[in-house]
Amino acid sequence: MRGTGIAKSVLPAMAVMFLSLSAHAAPDLSGVWLLDGHIGAVKTTDGGAPPLTPDAQGRYEAHRKAAARGDYSYDGVTRCLPPGLPRLMLMHEPFEILQRDKIVYFLYQVNRLPRRAYLNESLPTDVDPHYLGYSVAHWDADTLVVDTAGFDDSTLLDNVGLPHSEDLHLTERYRLSPDGKHLHLTYTVEDPKTFTKPWSARADYTRQDGYRIPEEVCAATAVDKRPRQ
Amino acid sequence: MHTSSLLFSAIAGLLLACPLVGAPAPTTLHNSGDPTLALTPGLRGATAAPPGAAPGNPDPHDLEGVWWLTGYQYLLGPEPGVPPPLKPKYMRILEDRIRAKNRGTPVADASTQCMPHGMPRIMESPYPIEIVQTPGRITFLHEVAHNIRRIYLDQPHPKQLTPSFLGDSVGHWEGDTLVVDTVGLNDRTFIDDEGSSHSTQEHVIERFRKIDNGSSLELIMTVEDPVTLEHPYSYRRIYRWRPDVRPQEYVCEENNRNAPVNGVTVAK
Repeated sequence: MRGTGIAKSVLPAMAVMFLSLSAHAAPDLSGVWLLDGHIGAVKTTDGGAPPLTPDAQGRYEAHRKAAARGDYSYDGVTRCLPPGLPRLMLMHEPFEILQRDKIVYFLYQVNRLPRRAYLNESLPTDVDPHYLGYSVAHWDADTLVVDTAGFDDSTLLDNVGLPHSEDLHLTERYRLSPDGKHLHLTYTVEDPKTFTKPWSARADYTRQDGYRIPEEVCAATAVDKRPRQ
Repeated sequence: MHTSSLLFSAIAGLLLACPLVGAPAPTTLHNSGDPTLALTPGLRGATAAPPGAAPGNPDPHDLEGVWWLTGYQYLLGPEPGVPPPLKPKYMRILEDRIRAKNRGTPVADASTQCMPHGMPRIMESPYPIEIVQTPGRITFLHEVAHNIRRIYLDQPHPKQLTPSFLGDSVGHWEGDTLVVDTVGLNDRTFIDDEGSSHSTQEHVIERFRKIDNGSSLELIMTVEDPVTLEHPYSYRRIYRWRPDVRPQEYVCEENNRNAPVNGVTVAK
Protein backbone atom coordinates (compact mmCIF):
# COMPACT_ATOMS: atom_id res chain seq x y z
CA MET A 1 0.00 0.00 0.00
CA ARG A 2 1.21 3.49 -0.72
CA GLY A 3 1.65 5.98 2.03
CA THR A 4 4.26 4.38 4.23
CA GLY A 5 7.06 6.74 5.11
CA ILE A 6 10.27 5.56 3.54
CA ALA A 7 13.27 6.78 5.42
CA LYS A 8 15.60 8.35 2.93
CA SER A 9 18.32 9.31 5.35
CA VAL A 10 21.70 8.07 4.41
CA LEU A 11 23.88 6.82 7.19
CA PRO A 12 26.83 9.19 7.37
CA ALA A 13 29.19 6.23 7.65
CA MET A 14 27.79 4.80 4.44
CA ALA A 15 28.18 8.11 2.70
CA VAL A 16 31.84 8.25 3.71
CA MET A 17 32.31 4.68 2.52
CA PHE A 18 30.61 5.46 -0.77
CA LEU A 19 32.78 8.50 -1.32
CA SER A 20 35.92 6.54 -0.58
CA LEU A 21 34.85 3.79 -2.97
CA SER A 22 33.63 6.02 -5.73
CA ALA A 23 37.24 6.58 -6.76
CA HIS A 24 37.23 2.95 -7.96
CA ALA A 25 34.73 1.82 -10.53
CA ALA A 26 32.36 -0.76 -9.07
CA PRO A 27 32.18 -4.03 -11.00
CA ASP A 28 29.29 -4.08 -13.45
CA LEU A 29 26.94 -6.94 -12.67
CA SER A 30 24.60 -5.96 -15.52
CA GLY A 31 23.50 -8.83 -17.73
CA VAL A 32 21.33 -11.91 -17.82
CA TRP A 33 22.16 -14.66 -15.32
CA LEU A 34 21.02 -18.23 -14.72
CA LEU A 35 21.46 -20.34 -11.60
CA ASP A 36 24.01 -23.14 -11.99
CA GLY A 37 22.16 -26.43 -11.53
CA HIS A 38 19.08 -26.86 -9.38
CA ILE A 39 18.70 -26.23 -5.69
CA GLY A 40 16.34 -28.37 -3.65
CA ALA A 41 16.62 -28.34 0.13
CA VAL A 42 19.12 -25.63 1.04
CA LYS A 43 22.42 -26.65 2.56
CA THR A 44 24.21 -24.09 4.66
CA THR A 45 27.86 -23.20 4.16
CA ASP A 46 28.53 -25.41 7.21
CA GLY A 47 27.18 -28.34 5.21
CA GLY A 48 24.08 -28.87 7.32
CA ALA A 49 20.41 -28.04 7.19
CA PRO A 50 19.20 -24.58 8.28
CA PRO A 51 18.80 -24.65 12.09
CA LEU A 52 15.01 -24.49 12.40
CA THR A 53 13.29 -23.94 15.71
CA PRO A 54 11.03 -26.86 16.75
CA ASP A 55 7.89 -24.97 15.74
CA ALA A 56 9.28 -23.99 12.33
CA GLN A 57 10.57 -27.56 11.86
CA GLY A 58 6.98 -28.73 12.24
CA ARG A 59 5.74 -26.34 9.55
CA TYR A 60 8.59 -27.31 7.23
CA GLU A 61 7.83 -31.02 7.63
CA ALA A 62 4.14 -30.39 6.98
CA HIS A 63 5.11 -28.73 3.68
CA ARG A 64 7.38 -31.64 2.73
CA LYS A 65 4.65 -34.18 3.52
CA ALA A 66 2.09 -32.23 1.50
CA ALA A 67 4.49 -32.00 -1.45
CA ALA A 68 5.16 -35.74 -1.23
CA ARG A 69 1.48 -36.36 -1.91
CA GLY A 70 1.40 -33.76 -4.70
CA ASP A 71 -0.34 -31.07 -2.65
CA TYR A 72 1.40 -27.72 -3.21
CA SER A 73 -1.41 -25.58 -1.84
CA TYR A 74 0.98 -24.26 0.84
CA ASP A 75 3.01 -22.66 -1.95
CA GLY A 76 1.70 -19.30 -3.24
CA VAL A 77 3.80 -19.69 -6.39
CA THR A 78 1.21 -22.18 -7.65
CA ARG A 79 -1.27 -19.26 -7.50
CA CYS A 80 1.18 -16.90 -9.24
CA LEU A 81 2.14 -15.06 -6.06
CA PRO A 82 5.74 -13.80 -5.90
CA PRO A 83 8.14 -16.50 -4.68
CA GLY A 84 9.76 -14.33 -2.04
CA LEU A 85 13.44 -14.25 -1.17
CA PRO A 86 15.96 -15.76 -1.27
CA ARG A 87 13.88 -18.32 -3.18
CA LEU A 88 13.64 -16.13 -6.27
CA MET A 89 17.44 -16.31 -6.39
CA LEU A 90 17.32 -20.10 -6.04
CA MET A 91 15.07 -20.87 -9.01
CA HIS A 92 16.56 -22.17 -12.23
CA GLU A 93 15.06 -19.31 -14.26
CA PRO A 94 16.96 -16.43 -15.88
CA PHE A 95 17.05 -12.97 -14.36
CA GLU A 96 18.57 -9.72 -15.49
CA ILE A 97 20.56 -7.18 -13.51
CA LEU A 98 20.50 -3.55 -14.59
CA GLN A 99 23.07 -1.68 -12.55
CA ARG A 100 22.66 2.06 -12.25
CA ASP A 101 24.30 4.62 -9.98
CA LYS A 102 21.49 4.81 -7.42
CA ILE A 103 19.52 1.62 -7.98
CA VAL A 104 20.39 -1.95 -8.87
CA TYR A 105 17.46 -3.64 -10.61
CA PHE A 106 16.91 -7.39 -10.55
CA LEU A 107 14.37 -8.30 -13.25
CA TYR A 108 13.25 -11.91 -13.12
CA GLN A 109 11.84 -13.98 -15.95
CA VAL A 110 9.57 -15.62 -13.35
CA ASN A 111 6.27 -13.82 -13.91
CA ARG A 112 8.23 -10.63 -14.88
CA LEU A 113 8.91 -9.75 -11.24
CA PRO A 114 11.07 -6.70 -10.53
CA ARG A 115 13.20 -5.96 -7.53
CA ARG A 116 14.99 -2.73 -6.73
CA ALA A 117 17.92 -2.30 -4.37
CA TYR A 118 18.47 1.36 -3.48
CA LEU A 119 22.18 2.11 -3.19
CA ASN A 120 23.74 3.80 -0.19
CA GLU A 121 20.55 4.14 1.80
CA SER A 122 19.62 2.55 5.10
CA LEU A 123 16.68 0.23 5.53
CA PRO A 124 13.45 1.98 6.50
CA THR A 125 12.64 1.58 10.18
CA ASP A 126 9.01 0.70 9.49
CA VAL A 127 8.13 -0.85 6.17
CA ASP A 128 4.91 -2.64 5.27
CA PRO A 129 5.46 -6.31 4.53
CA HIS A 130 5.98 -7.14 0.88
CA TYR A 131 6.52 -10.44 -0.90
CA LEU A 132 9.96 -9.31 -2.00
CA GLY A 133 10.63 -7.01 0.97
CA TYR A 134 12.46 -3.71 0.70
CA SER A 135 16.09 -3.73 -0.39
CA VAL A 136 19.00 -1.37 0.04
CA ALA A 137 22.54 -2.02 -1.14
CA HIS A 138 26.10 -0.83 -0.91
CA TRP A 139 29.46 -1.81 -2.31
CA ASP A 140 31.90 -3.49 0.07
CA ALA A 141 35.03 -3.25 -2.10
CA ASP A 142 34.11 -5.39 -5.14
CA THR A 143 31.13 -7.05 -3.46
CA LEU A 144 27.57 -5.81 -3.81
CA VAL A 145 25.86 -6.20 -0.45
CA VAL A 146 22.04 -6.17 -0.56
CA ASP A 147 20.11 -5.89 2.70
CA THR A 148 16.44 -6.78 2.64
CA ALA A 149 13.74 -6.67 5.32
CA GLY A 150 9.99 -6.07 5.46
CA PHE A 151 8.82 -9.47 4.32
CA ASP A 152 5.36 -10.94 4.10
CA ASP A 153 5.57 -14.25 5.99
CA SER A 154 3.52 -16.25 3.49
CA THR A 155 6.45 -16.89 1.15
CA LEU A 156 9.00 -19.66 1.41
CA LEU A 157 12.76 -19.32 1.66
CA ASP A 158 13.57 -22.12 -0.75
CA ASN A 159 11.97 -24.34 -3.39
CA VAL A 160 10.89 -27.07 -1.00
CA GLY A 161 8.93 -25.27 1.71
CA LEU A 162 11.41 -23.70 4.16
CA PRO A 163 9.32 -21.20 6.17
CA HIS A 164 10.17 -17.83 7.68
CA SER A 165 8.55 -15.06 9.72
CA GLU A 166 8.03 -11.33 9.12
CA ASP A 167 11.25 -10.76 11.07
CA LEU A 168 13.35 -12.21 8.25
CA HIS A 169 16.43 -10.16 7.47
CA LEU A 170 18.28 -11.26 4.36
CA THR A 171 21.82 -10.17 3.46
CA GLU A 172 23.08 -11.04 0.00
CA ARG A 173 26.68 -10.62 -1.09
CA TYR A 174 27.28 -10.71 -4.85
CA ARG A 175 30.73 -10.99 -6.36
CA LEU A 176 31.66 -11.22 -10.02
CA SER A 177 34.24 -13.80 -11.16
CA PRO A 178 37.50 -12.32 -12.55
CA ASP A 179 36.44 -13.20 -16.12
CA GLY A 180 32.99 -11.64 -15.58
CA LYS A 181 31.17 -14.81 -16.68
CA HIS A 182 30.07 -15.99 -13.25
CA LEU A 183 28.26 -14.40 -10.36
CA HIS A 184 28.70 -15.78 -6.87
CA LEU A 185 26.16 -15.21 -4.13
CA THR A 186 26.57 -15.85 -0.44
CA TYR A 187 23.46 -15.03 1.52
CA THR A 188 22.75 -14.90 5.22
CA VAL A 189 19.35 -15.48 6.77
CA GLU A 190 18.53 -14.00 10.17
CA ASP A 191 15.11 -14.81 11.58
CA PRO A 192 15.08 -15.61 15.30
CA LYS A 193 11.43 -16.68 15.18
CA THR A 194 12.29 -19.40 12.66
CA PHE A 195 15.94 -20.30 13.18
CA THR A 196 17.98 -20.91 16.32
CA LYS A 197 20.86 -18.93 14.82
CA PRO A 198 21.72 -17.05 11.59
CA TRP A 199 22.93 -19.19 8.73
CA SER A 200 24.49 -18.69 5.32
CA ALA A 201 24.38 -20.51 2.01
CA ARG A 202 25.69 -20.10 -1.53
CA ALA A 203 24.38 -19.96 -5.04
CA ASP A 204 26.26 -19.47 -8.31
CA TYR A 205 25.14 -18.11 -11.65
CA THR A 206 26.46 -18.08 -15.20
CA ARG A 207 26.11 -15.17 -17.59
CA GLN A 208 23.70 -15.80 -20.49
CA ASP A 209 25.12 -13.64 -23.26
CA GLY A 210 22.63 -12.68 -25.93
CA TYR A 211 19.63 -14.15 -24.13
CA ARG A 212 16.54 -11.96 -24.27
CA ILE A 213 14.15 -12.53 -21.40
CA PRO A 214 10.78 -13.37 -22.92
CA GLU A 215 7.40 -12.31 -21.57
CA GLU A 216 6.47 -14.98 -19.02
CA VAL A 217 2.93 -14.58 -17.70
CA CYS A 218 2.05 -16.90 -14.85
CA ALA A 219 -1.69 -16.22 -15.09
CA ALA A 220 -1.60 -17.29 -18.75
CA THR A 221 0.35 -20.46 -17.91
CA ALA A 222 -1.26 -23.79 -17.02
CA VAL A 223 -0.93 -24.56 -13.31
CA ASP A 224 1.29 -27.58 -13.86
CA LYS A 225 3.62 -25.56 -16.14
CA ARG A 226 4.26 -22.72 -13.67
CA PRO A 227 7.87 -22.68 -12.49
CA ARG A 228 8.27 -23.71 -8.87
CA GLN A 229 12.03 -24.11 -8.71
CA MET B 1 -6.45 37.81 -35.32
CA HIS B 2 -8.30 38.01 -38.62
CA THR B 3 -11.32 35.82 -39.25
CA SER B 4 -9.53 34.16 -42.15
CA SER B 5 -6.59 33.10 -40.00
CA LEU B 6 -8.99 31.80 -37.34
CA LEU B 7 -10.68 29.75 -40.05
CA PHE B 8 -7.30 28.54 -41.25
CA SER B 9 -6.38 27.48 -37.70
CA ALA B 10 -9.66 25.63 -37.33
CA ILE B 11 -9.15 23.77 -40.60
CA ALA B 12 -5.54 22.96 -39.71
CA GLY B 13 -6.74 21.65 -36.34
CA LEU B 14 -9.31 19.45 -38.03
CA LEU B 15 -6.74 18.11 -40.45
CA LEU B 16 -4.44 17.26 -37.54
CA ALA B 17 -7.25 15.54 -35.67
CA CYS B 18 -8.34 13.44 -38.67
CA PRO B 19 -5.35 11.66 -40.22
CA LEU B 20 -7.34 10.85 -43.36
CA VAL B 21 -9.18 13.66 -45.08
CA GLY B 22 -12.67 12.57 -45.98
CA ALA B 23 -12.98 9.94 -43.25
CA PRO B 24 -16.49 9.82 -41.80
CA ALA B 25 -17.02 11.99 -38.74
CA PRO B 26 -16.30 9.76 -35.73
CA THR B 27 -19.13 8.63 -33.53
CA THR B 28 -18.81 10.51 -30.29
CA LEU B 29 -19.81 8.05 -27.64
CA HIS B 30 -19.34 10.77 -25.08
CA ASN B 31 -22.21 12.73 -26.60
CA SER B 32 -24.32 9.83 -27.84
CA GLY B 33 -27.14 10.61 -25.39
CA ASP B 34 -27.57 6.86 -24.96
CA PRO B 35 -27.10 6.05 -21.26
CA THR B 36 -26.29 2.43 -22.06
CA LEU B 37 -23.24 3.72 -23.95
CA ALA B 38 -22.01 5.95 -21.12
CA LEU B 39 -18.22 6.06 -20.92
CA THR B 40 -16.41 5.75 -17.62
CA PRO B 41 -15.17 9.26 -16.77
CA GLY B 42 -11.43 9.75 -17.03
CA LEU B 43 -9.15 10.29 -14.05
CA ARG B 44 -7.18 13.42 -13.34
CA GLY B 45 -4.01 11.41 -12.92
CA ALA B 46 -0.71 12.65 -11.60
CA THR B 47 0.04 16.18 -10.56
CA ALA B 48 3.47 17.78 -10.77
CA ALA B 49 6.11 16.72 -8.28
CA PRO B 50 5.74 18.39 -4.87
CA PRO B 51 7.88 21.38 -3.92
CA GLY B 52 11.40 20.37 -3.00
CA ALA B 53 11.52 17.40 -5.37
CA ALA B 54 14.54 17.21 -7.64
CA PRO B 55 13.92 19.20 -10.82
CA GLY B 56 13.60 17.38 -14.12
CA ASN B 57 16.77 16.57 -15.98
CA PRO B 58 16.79 18.79 -19.10
CA ASP B 59 18.98 16.34 -21.09
CA PRO B 60 16.57 15.35 -23.90
CA HIS B 61 18.21 11.96 -24.36
CA ASP B 62 18.07 10.92 -20.71
CA LEU B 63 14.59 9.64 -19.92
CA GLU B 64 15.61 7.72 -16.80
CA GLY B 65 13.42 8.09 -13.74
CA VAL B 66 9.82 7.85 -12.63
CA TRP B 67 7.03 9.28 -14.79
CA TRP B 68 3.31 9.41 -14.09
CA LEU B 69 0.46 9.88 -16.52
CA THR B 70 -1.83 12.89 -16.35
CA GLY B 71 -5.42 12.65 -17.53
CA TYR B 72 -6.13 8.92 -17.65
CA GLN B 73 -8.74 7.96 -20.26
CA TYR B 74 -10.80 4.77 -20.39
CA LEU B 75 -11.41 5.17 -24.13
CA LEU B 76 -8.30 5.63 -26.27
CA GLY B 77 -9.42 7.33 -29.44
CA PRO B 78 -7.95 10.35 -31.21
CA GLU B 79 -9.41 12.60 -28.50
CA PRO B 80 -11.33 12.15 -25.23
CA GLY B 81 -14.80 10.69 -25.78
CA VAL B 82 -14.08 9.71 -29.38
CA PRO B 83 -13.53 6.00 -30.06
CA PRO B 84 -10.72 4.66 -32.21
CA PRO B 85 -11.69 4.61 -35.91
CA LEU B 86 -12.97 1.05 -35.64
CA LYS B 87 -14.50 -0.75 -38.60
CA PRO B 88 -18.28 -1.11 -38.18
CA LYS B 89 -18.08 -4.71 -36.96
CA TYR B 90 -15.62 -3.75 -34.22
CA MET B 91 -17.56 -0.59 -33.35
CA ARG B 92 -20.55 -2.84 -32.59
CA ILE B 93 -18.31 -5.03 -30.42
CA LEU B 94 -17.08 -1.96 -28.54
CA GLU B 95 -20.68 -0.83 -27.99
CA ASP B 96 -21.60 -4.31 -26.75
CA ARG B 97 -18.71 -4.19 -24.28
CA ILE B 98 -19.64 -0.71 -23.05
CA ARG B 99 -23.25 -1.83 -22.57
CA ALA B 100 -22.11 -4.95 -20.71
CA LYS B 101 -20.01 -2.74 -18.43
CA ASN B 102 -22.92 -0.39 -17.80
CA ARG B 103 -25.13 -3.37 -16.92
CA GLY B 104 -22.57 -4.28 -14.26
CA THR B 105 -21.35 -7.36 -16.11
CA PRO B 106 -18.14 -6.17 -17.79
CA VAL B 107 -16.26 -8.45 -20.15
CA ALA B 108 -13.26 -9.86 -18.28
CA ASP B 109 -10.31 -8.59 -20.25
CA ALA B 110 -6.74 -9.86 -19.91
CA SER B 111 -5.69 -7.36 -17.24
CA THR B 112 -8.51 -8.37 -14.89
CA GLN B 113 -7.06 -11.88 -15.09
CA CYS B 114 -3.59 -10.59 -14.13
CA MET B 115 -2.22 -10.78 -17.64
CA PRO B 116 -0.47 -7.76 -19.19
CA HIS B 117 -2.70 -4.94 -20.44
CA GLY B 118 -1.54 -4.96 -24.06
CA MET B 119 -0.70 -2.00 -26.28
CA PRO B 120 -1.34 0.88 -26.29
CA ARG B 121 -3.32 0.41 -23.09
CA ILE B 122 -0.34 -0.33 -20.82
CA MET B 123 0.86 3.23 -21.43
CA GLU B 124 -2.52 4.48 -20.15
CA SER B 125 -2.09 3.32 -16.58
CA PRO B 126 -2.86 5.52 -13.58
CA TYR B 127 0.25 4.12 -11.88
CA PRO B 128 3.85 5.30 -12.21
CA ILE B 129 6.26 4.10 -14.89
CA GLU B 130 9.98 3.90 -14.16
CA ILE B 131 12.30 4.21 -17.14
CA VAL B 132 15.75 2.64 -16.93
CA GLN B 133 18.21 3.54 -19.64
CA THR B 134 21.19 1.26 -20.27
CA PRO B 135 23.43 0.77 -23.31
CA GLY B 136 21.32 -0.45 -26.24
CA ARG B 137 18.19 -0.66 -24.15
CA ILE B 138 15.40 1.36 -22.66
CA THR B 139 13.32 -0.49 -20.11
CA PHE B 140 9.89 0.54 -18.87
CA LEU B 141 9.02 -0.80 -15.43
CA HIS B 142 5.32 -0.31 -14.88
CA GLU B 143 4.05 -0.37 -11.32
CA VAL B 144 0.73 -1.74 -12.54
CA ALA B 145 0.90 -5.53 -12.34
CA HIS B 146 4.73 -5.31 -12.61
CA ASN B 147 4.53 -5.09 -16.37
CA ILE B 148 7.85 -4.63 -18.10
CA ARG B 149 8.71 -3.46 -21.60
CA ARG B 150 12.19 -4.00 -22.99
CA ILE B 151 12.92 -1.68 -25.91
CA TYR B 152 15.96 -2.71 -27.95
CA LEU B 153 17.64 0.26 -29.61
CA ASP B 154 18.87 0.52 -33.20
CA GLN B 155 17.98 -2.93 -34.35
CA PRO B 156 15.18 -4.55 -36.35
CA HIS B 157 12.45 -6.73 -34.92
CA PRO B 158 13.40 -10.43 -34.84
CA LYS B 159 12.09 -12.25 -37.93
CA GLN B 160 10.28 -14.88 -35.92
CA LEU B 161 8.06 -13.49 -33.19
CA THR B 162 5.82 -15.38 -30.82
CA PRO B 163 2.86 -13.08 -30.22
CA SER B 164 2.92 -11.68 -26.69
CA PHE B 165 0.78 -9.35 -24.59
CA LEU B 166 3.15 -6.38 -24.86
CA GLY B 167 4.75 -7.32 -28.18
CA ASP B 168 8.29 -6.79 -29.39
CA SER B 169 9.60 -3.23 -29.16
CA VAL B 170 12.54 -1.62 -30.91
CA GLY B 171 13.49 2.02 -30.73
CA HIS B 172 15.73 4.73 -32.12
CA TRP B 173 16.32 8.42 -31.61
CA GLU B 174 15.17 10.95 -34.18
CA GLY B 175 16.76 14.11 -32.86
CA ASP B 176 15.35 14.59 -29.37
CA THR B 177 12.49 12.13 -29.93
CA LEU B 178 12.62 8.46 -28.96
CA VAL B 179 10.63 6.49 -31.52
CA VAL B 180 9.44 3.07 -30.35
CA ASP B 181 7.97 0.56 -32.77
CA THR B 182 5.96 -2.37 -31.43
CA VAL B 183 4.65 -5.43 -33.29
CA GLY B 184 4.19 -9.10 -32.39
CA LEU B 185 1.14 -8.51 -30.21
CA ASN B 186 -1.38 -11.18 -29.40
CA ASP B 187 -5.09 -10.33 -29.68
CA ARG B 188 -6.05 -11.23 -26.11
CA THR B 189 -6.02 -7.59 -24.97
CA PHE B 190 -8.01 -4.50 -25.84
CA ILE B 191 -6.74 -1.18 -27.18
CA ASP B 192 -8.33 0.53 -24.20
CA ASP B 193 -10.22 -0.02 -20.98
CA GLU B 194 -13.64 0.31 -22.66
CA GLY B 195 -12.90 -2.61 -24.99
CA SER B 196 -11.79 -1.41 -28.45
CA SER B 197 -10.51 -4.41 -30.39
CA HIS B 198 -7.15 -4.95 -32.02
CA SER B 199 -5.75 -7.89 -33.95
CA THR B 200 -2.35 -9.59 -34.08
CA GLN B 201 -1.57 -7.21 -36.96
CA GLU B 202 -1.68 -4.22 -34.63
CA HIS B 203 1.33 -1.94 -35.03
CA VAL B 204 2.04 0.73 -32.45
CA ILE B 205 4.42 3.67 -32.87
CA GLU B 206 5.30 5.84 -29.90
CA ARG B 207 7.16 9.12 -30.08
CA PHE B 208 8.50 10.25 -26.69
CA ARG B 209 9.94 13.71 -26.18
CA LYS B 210 10.88 15.62 -23.06
CA ILE B 211 9.16 18.97 -22.73
CA ASP B 212 9.09 21.82 -20.20
CA ASN B 213 12.77 21.41 -19.33
CA GLY B 214 12.37 17.76 -18.41
CA SER B 215 9.42 18.19 -16.06
CA SER B 216 7.13 16.37 -18.50
CA LEU B 217 7.35 13.65 -21.08
CA GLU B 218 5.19 13.93 -24.17
CA LEU B 219 3.97 10.81 -25.95
CA ILE B 220 2.41 10.84 -29.41
CA MET B 221 0.86 7.39 -29.74
CA THR B 222 -0.04 6.06 -33.19
CA VAL B 223 -2.06 2.88 -33.58
CA GLU B 224 -2.39 0.96 -36.83
CA ASP B 225 -4.43 -2.18 -37.36
CA PRO B 226 -5.56 -3.16 -40.85
CA VAL B 227 -8.00 -5.68 -39.37
CA THR B 228 -9.97 -3.63 -36.84
CA LEU B 229 -9.29 0.02 -37.75
CA GLU B 230 -10.49 2.03 -40.73
CA HIS B 231 -7.22 3.97 -40.66
CA PRO B 232 -4.33 4.71 -38.28
CA TYR B 233 -4.90 7.31 -35.60
CA SER B 234 -2.90 9.17 -33.01
CA TYR B 235 -3.32 10.79 -29.65
CA ARG B 236 -1.13 12.77 -27.29
CA ARG B 237 -0.35 12.11 -23.64
CA ILE B 238 1.70 13.85 -20.97
CA TYR B 239 3.59 12.13 -18.14
CA ARG B 240 4.89 14.08 -15.17
CA TRP B 241 8.43 13.78 -13.83
CA ARG B 242 7.99 12.33 -10.31
CA PRO B 243 11.36 11.80 -8.63
CA ASP B 244 9.55 11.70 -5.27
CA VAL B 245 7.77 8.45 -6.18
CA ARG B 246 9.12 4.96 -5.74
CA PRO B 247 7.17 2.28 -7.56
CA GLN B 248 5.62 -0.13 -5.12
CA GLU B 249 5.10 -3.87 -5.18
CA TYR B 250 1.86 -4.58 -7.02
CA VAL B 251 0.49 -8.10 -6.81
CA CYS B 252 -2.56 -8.45 -9.04
CA GLU B 253 -2.71 -12.15 -8.27
CA GLU B 254 -3.41 -11.41 -4.62
CA ASN B 255 -5.89 -8.62 -4.99
CA ASN B 256 -5.93 -5.28 -6.75
CA ARG B 257 -5.19 -2.53 -4.29
CA ASN B 258 -4.76 1.19 -4.34
CA ALA B 259 -7.86 1.58 -6.45
CA PRO B 260 -8.54 5.16 -7.54
CA VAL B 261 -10.15 7.27 -4.82
CA ASN B 262 -12.31 10.15 -6.00
CA GLY B 263 -10.93 9.79 -9.47
CA VAL B 264 -7.22 9.82 -8.66
CA THR B 265 -4.63 7.39 -7.51
CA VAL B 266 -2.63 8.81 -4.69
CA ALA B 267 1.11 8.79 -4.30
CA LYS B 268 2.60 8.83 -0.85
